Amino acid sequence: MFAAASGMAAQQTQLEVIADNLANADVAGFKEAAATFADVRAGSLGLGTAQVGKHPVFAQGKLMKSGGPFDVAIDGPGFFVVERGGERAYTRNGEFARDADGALRNAQGWALHGVQIPSDALAVHVASDGRVSVDTPAGKDRAIAQLRLASFASAEGLRPLGATLFGASDASGSPRLFTPGAHGAPSIAFGMLERSNVSIVESMMQILGAQRAYEANAKGVQAADEMLRIANNLQRG
Amino acid sequence: MGSAMRAARAQLEVATHNLANVASDGYRRAAARVALTARGLTVSARTVADQGGIRQTGRPFDLALLGEGAFRVGDEVMRGGAFTRDRDGWLVDDRGRRLRGACGPLRVSAEARIAPDGTVHDHGRIVDRLPLPRGTRIQAGALESSTVNAVDETLAILTAQRAFETAQKTLVAIDATRQKAVNDVVRLK
Repeated sequence: MFAAASGMAAQQTQLEVIADNLANADVAGFKEAAATFADVRAGSLGLGTAQVGKHPVFAQGKLMKSGGPFDVAIDGPGFFVVERGGERAYTRNGEFARDADGALRNAQGWALHGVQIPSDALAVHVASDGRVSVDTPAGKDRAIAQLRLASFASAEGLRPLGATLFGASDASGSPRLFTPGAHGAPSIAFGMLERSNVSIVESMMQILGAQRAYEANAKGVQAADEMLRIANNLQRG
Repeated sequence: MGSAMRAARAQLEVATHNLANVASDGYRRAAARVALTARGLTVSARTVADQGGIRQTGRPFDLALLGEGAFRVGDEVMRGGAFTRDRDGWLVDDRGRRLRGACGPLRVSAEARIAPDGTVHDHGRIVDRLPLPRGTRIQAGALESSTVNAVDETLAILTAQRAFETAQKTLVAIDATRQKAVNDVVRLK
């Protein structure tokens, strides 16, 4: 009975993970997660299943033209470095907007590290090597900053801080900053956003599977319960 | 009849354990074998070595075995191949145990790739090899799904439940016969 109950719990976890993926399917830079399960046994006795891990899947999402004047995307591995109130975080969501103080901030108020747009800037460009330049009344294409991306020894060890935001942790190692655009290295795509790597069709299929598996496990609990009931009533026949 | 009820119960346990692991990657379903012995019905479970379906995951160090064999982690072996590269470069499973190649635990760079024949390529060099039986290949970036079929197991649960009921009915019938024998047959007028 407990084996079946552990199966129900596992399918519930599975549903939660998939639902979270689906909920963020439209969020730029979102990375889907996958839960892993393994069987639990004591000698030859099967005790059901247990969740052993949950991994973000850092596979590249498709880049799409967004039209946002400050949108950037990373083509390849790596993270944007953002900061808020002295705290640093890492994200692949490149949906930024220009703030009154000249910083490029995302919807949660995290500013792209090291970039300060002058107040007289008419347009901003970001080259594939991360060079940020602006057009001002005084002149065109004036370089103002160099974007650097962060990489980690183990990106999967990053601490999730939100849908698309991560913090460095012991498991991930400390960030290593690098300049994009070198040969074979990740590059920056300006005016583009990275779509989430969630496949809606696949997630829907997973939901159906998890739901049916949940029901089947419930049947197992029911059957075990029924057997106990019969055994308890043996005296009465 | 007690052993028949115990056997039905054991069959149910095998089926529910299988069903609980329908989402456990690399899990191989157990099959219950019922045998009639001098002690009545006994149930033994054995693992069925079917190949599970291969599912692409998009994680570079997820490994699926096509064919026989298993991954060596620490002192154990397992079929599930969800490995992660930790901050020091070791390939570890979800419980933190290190994946072992032919020359010991594997330590690789983030760009390392594992070829279908089990060789580990890192920066253009072969650094180690995962020991595999003949004919077995490895697919990186994929996992082997559980071999449990939910429909089969649900059916096994229902069958076990009915077998239990049948045994119980028979037990009651035998009990009634004995009751008659004890109470009625030897009753002297």
